[in-house]
Amino acid sequence: MTHLSPGQIVDVADGCAAPDLTAHAAACESCRARVDSILDAVRLAAEDPRAEPSPLFWPQLAARIGDAVRRERAPAALWRPWVWRLAPLGAVAVLLIAVGTGSRLRTPAGPFSAPAAPDAAPAHASVAPAADHDPADDPSWLLVSVLSAEVSVEEAEASGVLPPPGSVDRALMQLDGAERVELAKILREELAAKTPVAPQGPGA
Amino acid sequence: MSTRADAWPAGGIQPHWTLTVVPSTGDESGRDLPLEDLDDSRLVGLCLGGRVDAFDLIVERHQRAVYQLCFRFVRRHEDAADLTQEVFLRAYRGLRRFRGDATLATWLYRIGVNACLNHVSARRAPETALDDAPPIPAAGDDPASSLVKTEQGARVRAAVARLPPKQRATLILRVYQGLSHREIASALGTTVGAVKANVFHALGNLKKLLAEEAIEKS
Repeated sequence: MTHLSPGQIVDVADGCAAPDLTAHAAACESCRARVDSILDAVRLAAEDPRAEPSPLFWPQLAARIGDAVRRERAPAALWRPWVWRLAPLGAVAVLLIAVGTGSRLRTPAGPFSAPAAPDAAPAHASVAPAADHDPADDPSWLLVSVLSAEVSVEEAEASGVLPPPGSVDRALMQLDGAERVELAKILREELAAKTPVAPQGPGA
Repeated sequence: MSTRADAWPAGGIQPHWTLTVVPSTGDESGRDLPLEDLDDSRLVGLCLGGRVDAFDLIVERHQRAVYQLCFRFVRRHEDAADLTQEVFLRAYRGLRRFRGDATLATWLYRIGVNACLNHVSARRAPETALDDAPPIPAAGDDPASSLVKTEQGARVRAAVARLPPKQRATLILRVYQGLSHREIASALGTTVGAVKANVFHALGNLKKLLAEEAIEKS
């Protein structure tokens, strides 16, 4: 029989070789020497003890890896910027709904400075601002203004926060007579403000 | 589990979405089990479903083995810790590629061996910057015998470091990490026969290097 191959020598040294191979290693001096040499090398290798850090090291390492893994999630979490984009879009939606339902009507002095009618219905009274209320001082208004400043109509439309077609028309139809008069007044003032003043000549 | 658009019949309507089923932590009766009771494959499924805490448990279970592997290659605590982190990060990034045909431990060993070999080959001079700090002797150890053990351990470590990369990796996985030949073959992407041959030559070379070193010393 030929001598054992390296793989068979390793199997014999591991004690997992077939019986005929083990028998050969026992009978063949050359193969037995090779098996003994392997076992001796394993014994030598085992003289290098296992490195065992402090028990406190493992929780620290786990925490460090956990932090790194959580930082790693940032590229995958591409939705995160959209959360910030959705905030102003939501604010725009709130504004549009508010305007659409006519719950807040502007006066010539400013968008929210109309004095509340003393006899207004409770629903309207609850949303009507105080006469001395300056919208610039309202933190909510400021927040909405800042957040919606960079949002285009296209972005708002793409995100689905614009009111559906016809909803503004329906809201207008629901205004009562006084509200319609007030709205018409506001629109006239807005148009007048945007109409360029004609230069006044000497014969004018 | 996920559906792939290219798995749909040609010419048909192909979906533009991917369906991902996130496995629950429940057992067969529907009762939710704590993460600690789940095996590695279930934890991997949960990770893929976005449960980072499941990966924390994977780290907890395998960090010691990965660290020991790395330390065998780099022999420096700080480097071994850095490499261990790198191994787990690579695993996390590539978790979708873990198919489960090997155990998670074997897969981590594969990543670890690649990371260590890259690290060692990049540094080129690891033997000059070794942290061969002796292990703390166990209580009751004779200081003289501890010193002898320490010196012998350093000699073995230096000899292992001089082995060719494949033999070194095979020896570390077999002798120090206790992997079977089949597991080593899976970790190194080779055959069981090649692993056995590498073990044989690695041990033979180790013995020869130690003998040469002893002659030089005398």
